[in-house]
Amino acid sequence: MPDAYVIGAGQTAFGAFPERSYRDLFREAYEHALDSVDRPPDTDEVDEAVVGSLGVGGRQLGLSGPAVTEHVGLHNVPCARIENACAAGGSAVRRAVQAIESGMADLALAGGYEVMTDMSDDVTKYWLGVSGETEWERLTGTTFSGVYAQMASAYLAEYDATVEDFGRVAVKNHENGAKNPKAHLDFTCTLEDAVEAPAVAAPLNLYHCCPTSDGAAVALLASGDVVDEYTDERVRVAGVGAASGRVGLADRESYTAIPASETAAETAYERAGVGPEDLSFAEVHDCFAIAELLAYEDLGFCDRGEAPRLLREGVTDPDGDLPVNTSGGLKSKGHPIGATGTGQVVEAFDQMTGRAGDRQLDDTRYGLIHNVGGSGGATVVHVFENEEGGR
Amino acid sequence: MSDGSSSGRNAGARRGIAGVGGYAPRFRLTAEAVTEAWGQFHGAGISSTAVPDADEDTLTMAYEAASRALSAADVDPASVAGLTIGTTTPPVEEEAMAPRLASTLGLDESIRSRQLTGSTRAGVDALAAGLDMGATRPDVDAARPVLVVASDAPRGAPDDEIEHAGGAGAAALVLAAEAPGTVTDLAEHVSPYPGTRFRGHGEAETTGLGVTSYDRTAFTETVAAAVDALDADPAAADAVALQSPNGKLPYRAAGPLGVETDAIHRGTVVGDLGDLGAASPLFGLAAAIDDGADRALLVGYGSGGGATAAEVSHDGIPVEMTREGDEELSYGEYLRMRGDITPGEPAGGGAYVSVPSWRRTIPQRHRLRAGRCPDCGALAFPPEGACNDCGGLVEYEPVELPGTGTVEAVTVIGQGGAPPEFVDQQARSGAYASAVVALDGPDAADGADGEEGGTNDGAVSIPAQVVGTDPTAVTVGDRVAATIRRIYTQEGVTRYGFKMQPIDRTTISLSSPGSIDI
Repeated sequence: MPDAYVIGAGQTAFGAFPERSYRDLFREAYEHALDSVDRPPDTDEVDEAVVGSLGVGGRQLGLSGPAVTEHVGLHNVPCARIENACAAGGSAVRRAVQAIESGMADLALAGGYEVMTDMSDDVTKYWLGVSGETEWERLTGTTFSGVYAQMASAYLAEYDATVEDFGRVAVKNHENGAKNPKAHLDFTCTLEDAVEAPAVAAPLNLYHCCPTSDGAAVALLASGDVVDEYTDERVRVAGVGAASGRVGLADRESYTAIPASETAAETAYERAGVGPEDLSFAEVHDCFAIAELLAYEDLGFCDRGEAPRLLREGVTDPDGDLPVNTSGGLKSKGHPIGATGTGQVVEAFDQMTGRAGDRQLDDTRYGLIHNVGGSGGATVVHVFENEEGGR
Repeated sequence: MSDGSSSGRNAGARRGIAGVGGYAPRFRLTAEAVTEAWGQFHGAGISSTAVPDADEDTLTMAYEAASRALSAADVDPASVAGLTIGTTTPPVEEEAMAPRLASTLGLDESIRSRQLTGSTRAGVDALAAGLDMGATRPDVDAARPVLVVASDAPRGAPDDEIEHAGGAGAAALVLAAEAPGTVTDLAEHVSPYPGTRFRGHGEAETTGLGVTSYDRTAFTETVAAAVDALDADPAAADAVALQSPNGKLPYRAAGPLGVETDAIHRGTVVGDLGDLGAASPLFGLAAAIDDGADRALLVGYGSGGGATAAEVSHDGIPVEMTREGDEELSYGEYLRMRGDITPGEPAGGGAYVSVPSWRRTIPQRHRLRAGRCPDCGALAFPPEGACNDCGGLVEYEPVELPGTGTVEAVTVIGQGGAPPEFVDQQARSGAYASAVVALDGPDAADGADGEEGGTNDGAVSIPAQVVGTDPTAVTVGDRVAATIRRIYTQEGVTRYGFKMQPIDRTTISLSSPGSIDI
């Protein structure tokens, strides 16, 4: 079974671009991805394309996958769109890896795109909510902020945690995102700002929630058989794991964990032959501040209930033992649903190939990315290895 | 006895009153708040009016009152043979309330049902119709109970007396054989008095010509004629539950009726609840019985005009009633809550649940019917799909839950946080609590309360709003019980379903057979 390598990755800035089309955004990300490859492939060398999108914002467009690949000249390339809510992008990457590992493709594209901001806030909320349990959970008047807030309430009741710990996620990720030219929100905030912001869904406030963004991101993957034709910077997909979980929160065995994240991480670590202690950095799915705390525990960065300690002690700061969300995360970099997972690949690739600018970490031997759909109905975890041995 | 009166007749031979329930929403609009807004208050003799929450209407209030009456009478809902409903403000002008009300209460689908409307007299007429189900309907088993419900929330033009007096509430009576209460006599009277109170097609506001002396004459003459047609001696009643469109009119009738004002006072709730329309006399009766009155006169009056009078005597009818207000509204909050100045649902699309697919889940929405996995015994709600516990793709055995539970996780959805279907609720009543609740299993009646703060064995977790209290006061570990509220309205069709409220605000639980008194 050939290994899969990320040979290039690129993205648009994430932000509010209501006048741009999803094809236009995809084109820019595709061109950045091509530019990031040492020796870029010709379009006819791409064997497979998998793209993630919730549905181009609220538009349930059919065939939006081929619409973007044909738009950039990837003619005759088999393409399918994956819908897995906010995990669509990570799921697309995993499918591209599978295509390569199966031997069906030497070169595969994984992409994602979303346009969310050209609609009224009300329409956007309709569409954000459709990725949950819509027959019962949503009919209690919740959107995702509400469901994650319920998890936060259970976490606060169960562990020694405070809303200040949620605020620490915002402070850290905004600090990181302010150094990322592609980030949606480029400002920093104080812990006081983050604690005193207006409530969205108690106990979560505005600073505990990610923005709704437009954007696209593309990763190019090659098999170990051909990788050297394209690049000398070998970022290997060391392990992949994915899982599903009950879509409605009330149906889960725990509200203070995302069981599907645990399962996906276990699989990815096992395949990579490494553990959380080996990681150099991670990009986790922090759609809401509580999600980053849960991710620390689900991904094995610490024991249950210990996530607040990691934040308080700066363990996940850029200069800590395990930097998390150097890109700014969903909180600051932004969250264009279908593009978020491939956008995480961009940060991992940039960190592992020395392109992360002001955010560049020293040690980048192993990096993990973690993408969650809905409130935990779908999860994907990738572990990447910098075969050059880290910087 | 005057012309046009039916003769007095003994209608209570077969069934008597076995239990009474009353319910008023917890919000109050005070006369002072209206005066502050308008510079005057036209609700004579009224200090405050009850205001329904944004997710309440005459159907949900009817559920609240009826479930209390069934609980008070200790009657199994499945044994009820008939349901009569009186209201002047049904949720929609055309479409019967009874099928959904019966479903929420767990009544059998073979019930006889009648809905009376078009007059505030409809409440007492619903009682008369309920009694008729025993007297004139031999196909209705006289041994089986009949449920009578009156529920109303009259509205008028913003600055007029009907609006200032308008309250909200519901009352219900369970009629059953060998009951502690007896309707000893019943009489009716009609007399043509047009224009005292009316509402045209498609209009939301009830109005009247406002000819004070004419209105007063219409009222006193008609109710006095109906009472006069009774065989009973009005002066023997120690309470008179008389139609109360405001706080003064019932007292004007004391002389013509030949009763003491003290007796009228005992059967009158308009002072703190406002005009309850069709529910006014029955709620007054509930209050009088609760107050210990042994012999009561019940008089419904409606414009047109007509009156229905009855005499009730008893030796201990059980009453369950929730009538206290616990939150006063400003006039602005009142206008919001009534939906007068809110924008309604924004356009969009999204998580659409069609009415046909909603109907499929009515046993769950209305009665919390769960399922038990035949393989591992775990509860499932809704009872669809693979078992959460053992993973088996099974056919669940239906299980009725007691409707009580414990909050496991909760959030307060503030302004801007509501999905569009709930924007109207949010705009009207403000922030709301949305929770995950561990519902007690069917054995909870034996005392196995849910353990606090986590999933418990024999329980099943569901998402639910928590209403009937300050949303910010709801915390993990709180004990709650189910009620019925409006979930939302789309395409003009209101979806009714369960929500939870603090357990101390509920005297009942959802339907048979796991019902427990709390």
